[in-house]
This record gives sequence, C-alpha cells and structure tokens, in this order.
Amino acid sequence: TGNKILRFGPCMISMNVNEIRASFTAIKATIQAKDAIRTISILSYPYSLHNFNVDRCCIIHHLLRFYVDKVFKHCETEDSHVNRKISSIANSFLSIKKKFRQCNEQNVCDCGEEAIEKYKQILTNYGQLNITSAAMKSLGELDILLDWMEKA
Amino acid sequence: AELYCSLPSPKNVHFESKNLKNILDWSPPEGLGEGVLYKVKYLIYGIGKWIKKSECKDISRTWCDLSNETYNHEDQYYASVKAFFSGNCSRWTETARFNPLTDTKIDPPAVTVSSTEKSISIVLTAPEKWKRTPEEESVSLYQVYSGLQYNVSVLNKKTKKRWVFSIKNNTLVVPRLESNTVYCVNVQTYVTTPLLLSGFSKECCIATLKD
Repeated sequence: TGNKILRFGPCMISMNVNEIRASFTAIKATIQAKDAIRTISILSYPYSLHNFNVDRCCIIHHLLRFYVDKVFKHCETEDSHVNRKISSIANSFLSIKKKFRQCNEQNVCDCGEEAIEKYKQILTNYGQLNITSAAMKSLGELDILLDWMEKA
Repeated sequence: AELYCSLPSPKNVHFESKNLKNILDWSPPEGLGEGVLYKVKYLIYGIGKWIKKSECKDISRTWCDLSNETYNHEDQYYASVKAFFSGNCSRWTETARFNPLTDTKIDPPAVTVSSTEKSISIVLTAPEKWKRTPEEESVSLYQVYSGLQYNVSVLNKKTKKRWVFSIKNNTLVVPRLESNTVYCVNVQTYVTTPLLLSGFSKECCIATLKD
C-alpha cells in the first residue's frame, strides 16, 4: 500500500508518502513554473529545513497546520487536473494532521527556541508575498518538506 | 553587455544527474550547430543570485558539469544557458527547478557472490554519491536515502527457475539450492520514496560446489 511510518519525536505517523509525492510530481512543473521569484524560499530561507532535526514533532505540527490553513486553500488554478491533484494532497495532509492530533494529545511536542524561530521565519517569508504567490510558492516547495519528513 | 538578442535559444536545457553527479545538458538552437558558443550561469533557489560558471564560458560543447556547484543535495537549483553566434546572441534559457534528491538517477549496487554446496551468499555495495575529489570521503547513497533497498533476482541456469527477493540490508544468503549448479544474480537499487529505480546490475554467475 506504500504506507510508511515516519517518526517525529514521540509521534510515529503512518502515511502514504509515495501517493503524495506522485501527486506532487504530476503538478510540480506547472506549479513551480508559476513561481518566478528565485530570491525567496518559504521553507529554505535563511536556513534549510534540513538543518532542523531537533523538535521535529513541533515543526511538523506547525507545518501541517500551515499547509492546511495557509496554502492548499489558496492554490486554485485554471487546470482541473492540477486542482484535483492539489485536493488529493490536501486530503492526505488533513488525514495526517488528524493522526498527529491523536498523538499530540498523549505526548507533549517539545518546541524549542530554534523550532519556534524557524516557524516564525517561515511565516515571515510567506508574508513577503501576496497570499496567492506565497501559497503557490509554498506548494512548489512540497518536495522540500517531504524530503525533510522522510529523513531518518 | 548584450543589448538585443535575436538568436533562437538553446533547447531542452535540463540537468542530467546520476548518483548526484549533476551535468547541465542542452541542444543547440534551431537551425544552428557548428560555431555556436555558449555561456552558463546557475543559482541556488531561495538565494536567487545568478552565478556565472567560468569554466563554461564561450564553450562550444552542449553540456557543463555543475556537480560541484550543486553538491548540497538538500538545496534546489536553477541553471541557464545563452548562445552566441556571429555577433548575435540568444535569450537565457532556464532549467526547471532542480531537486538533486528527487531528480537524480541511481546506479545498481556492486555485487559479490560466493557459494557453498547448497547455498550462495550475495554481498551488495550501494552506489556512492559523486565525489568532488578522489580523496574525499565516500558517501554511500544508503546514507542519503533512508528508504534505499534492493531487488535481487536469482536464476537457476539449469532449471530456469527464478527467485526475486526485496532486501533492505546488503547481504543475502539463498539456502537449499542444488549442488554443482550455476546460479546467476542480478540486482537493482530501489528507493521507495522519492521513488528511484536503477537498472539491473550485470549478471553475476557462480556454481554451487559439488557434494
């Protein structure tokens, strides 16, 4: 089925990363082509998301909410095929977010200073653009998030 | 500085990547071939400052090795090519955003096989990430991709019976075989996500010992 268990601190979440990646790969060129701004990265500036391997639980908790609340709903395109793929990814994130809430109720997700600072930076980067551009750029960086999520 | 460029642009500008050795590759502009010169620049996504690749300035070949510049496989990149021909020039033509981790191709593993009377032992060595210098410490793709595993095919040359195994570690012992028989092994590197699949390794055959 392609389900994989990923560890985020105390939380072990089962998710079908392959399915999300396949949906993203199908629309990656279209979405990234809409993002002409090379000087800003939502997730990677100033420091790569990959530098954050502590407080993974805190970071994923905030990023799931970020994508569900601030990204997917602002990513309507003129292409129904692309829109369907975005919906599929959004639904996967909603399901992961729900599983995460169940874990979060039993375990305390530590949020160290660095993790809080990183999330603030992500919001700052997002705030530099108008909502549609920021949402589209964030969606175009989904592979960065997935790569980070899958790091052992 | 080039004021106005009306030359057709280089085509199909893209990264050809194998084991994170990243080569920028393109085709000449429509209708042109001999005598065209090119220059190349690249940028790190999120920093966005174009950097000229000096070793690929005024070159006539249609590729440029950017492995060094794109060595950090956790970053993402763009590259761009411009053509020059008899005083005229083309516009810059860019790649799509390049994510080394997901956009590279990977090699099959190195395979070593030994045998006893009734079994064969297979030892696999994962391909390595491209190295900047031969002295540099090797980085196995096993360290880069947590989901790296192998598909191992074992063929009894006499009966043509084939077994296929999917294994995560790098050794496999196939027991309960026929003695004095030739078995041939092919192995494929397989990363579950991002989904990466190598070709099969060259066939490696060995005979089990006589009993």
